Amino acid sequence: MGDLYRRVLYLPRGINHRPGPHLRETTTRNNAVDSIINPIVLYLICATGAIGIAAALPRRNKVAAITGGIVLAAAVGFAILILGLNTTESGQPLPNYFFYPFAILGLGSAARMITHPRPVYSALYFILTIIASCGMYLLLSAEFMAFALVIIYAGAILITYLFVIMLATQAPSSAAEEFIDETDAVAREPVISCGIGFVLLAILTTAMFRGLGDLPAPPDQTLAQDSVLVNLPSKVERVLDRADILATGERLARNDDGTAAIDVATRTITIENTDLGTTRTIEADQWPEQLTAGNLDRLGYNLMHDHPMTIEIAGVILLMAMLGATVLARKHIELEDDLKAAQSRKLGENMKMGDA
Amino acid sequence: MDSILSTSLAQLAFPEAVPTITLAHYLFVSAAMFVMGLIGFMTRKNMIIMFLCTELMFQGAGLALIAFGRHHLGADGQTFVIFVLCVAAAEAAMALALVVLLFRHRESLSSQSWKELNG
Repeated sequence: MGDLYRRVLYLPRGINHRPGPHLRETTTRNNAVDSIINPIVLYLICATGAIGIAAALPRRNKVAAITGGIVLAAAVGFAILILGLNTTESGQPLPNYFFYPFAILGLGSAARMITHPRPVYSALYFILTIIASCGMYLLLSAEFMAFALVIIYAGAILITYLFVIMLATQAPSSAAEEFIDETDAVAREPVISCGIGFVLLAILTTAMFRGLGDLPAPPDQTLAQDSVLVNLPSKVERVLDRADILATGERLARNDDGTAAIDVATRTITIENTDLGTTRTIEADQWPEQLTAGNLDRLGYNLMHDHPMTIEIAGVILLMAMLGATVLARKHIELEDDLKAAQSRKLGENMKMGDA
Repeated sequence: MDSILSTSLAQLAFPEAVPTITLAHYLFVSAAMFVMGLIGFMTRKNMIIMFLCTELMFQGAGLALIAFGRHHLGADGQTFVIFVLCVAAAEAAMALALVVLLFRHRESLSSQSWKELNG
């Protein structure tokens, strides 16, 4: 299974958590990223998409909506075609081909989500968008976040939305099954909104297509990934123990500041024997294959080491949201005055009986 | 502006091939997702759908964070997506409570039924 996963995502053996070769910085200052797509073609695609969405937004005229959908699909398809034509020359074809289905699925279901007149279908299409972004997270080697997204978003948040949609919408009678509420059936100001939105998209894409070539090339990838291991001595010890490298009485040597005595650059590990007081080093050829800083290790270390205060703040935000939601959604029950009087009389009698 | 136009015109033939999926591809998808959320928020009248569209905007931002984190080979981007998820969950709870409250007052989910709030 792991092997299949590695082969499908085209990741080299043994370093399945290191970034794959499909997203390396390939551009230099001379070969700027605007060689991916011609800016004028990009603006044309943006404009076509705007017209498509404006026509496809909910309205009484069904023909216009369907035409808009076709125009939108044509725009997305054209963009993918242009982007795809320029990225077929590659030694690693698979990641390329995986990106496009996820992008098409994500953008298409996002478009359907904002254009579908029935709220429940909108929510379901949003789940599809989330699953497509999870696919892209996997391609970006963020495995933990991909699965967390499915559990939290698609599993929890969207179900809450569905509950509220179903609670707040009256069930249509059988005669009016095809009836859609005026609120959902007609969009407000579709032309202006789409114009604003796609001008924003054109500006955003111009900014990223112009500026990206100047980002610095990443450092040595293996080094950047495994340098976290120095800060995780107990994990290293556990892996070494499982690989039967540690004999009885031996443990990982620590530096003076408590970090593990590992030289990531030369891939050597220092081990000390507490019984005999001797030390030995494990060379690079004995380095166990499992000893690599995976996505979860790096994410957990980053979360706990670099952002501890943010976790506290997030906890406070969640607590406040819980309290706020409870206060907001509470139903005020107004009791009649004589009912209140009767209840308090009853309570008083009970207390008197308790005393006696 | 002038240089953008001149280089664009000079490149009307197909430019040189880029061999792999680059950061720009992911950023384009994330920007498009964000903009669709924005359009949805502006055009739809159903309050629940409006808040659902803000979640779509969160998704776009999250994808950009993850792609940039991957580009810099750090875990900071993913850490921030965890906090984005946190804020999204808090926002969903508050927004839905608010929607339920407003629905009880007017028996309608339309944002147009609260028109008098525009002052």
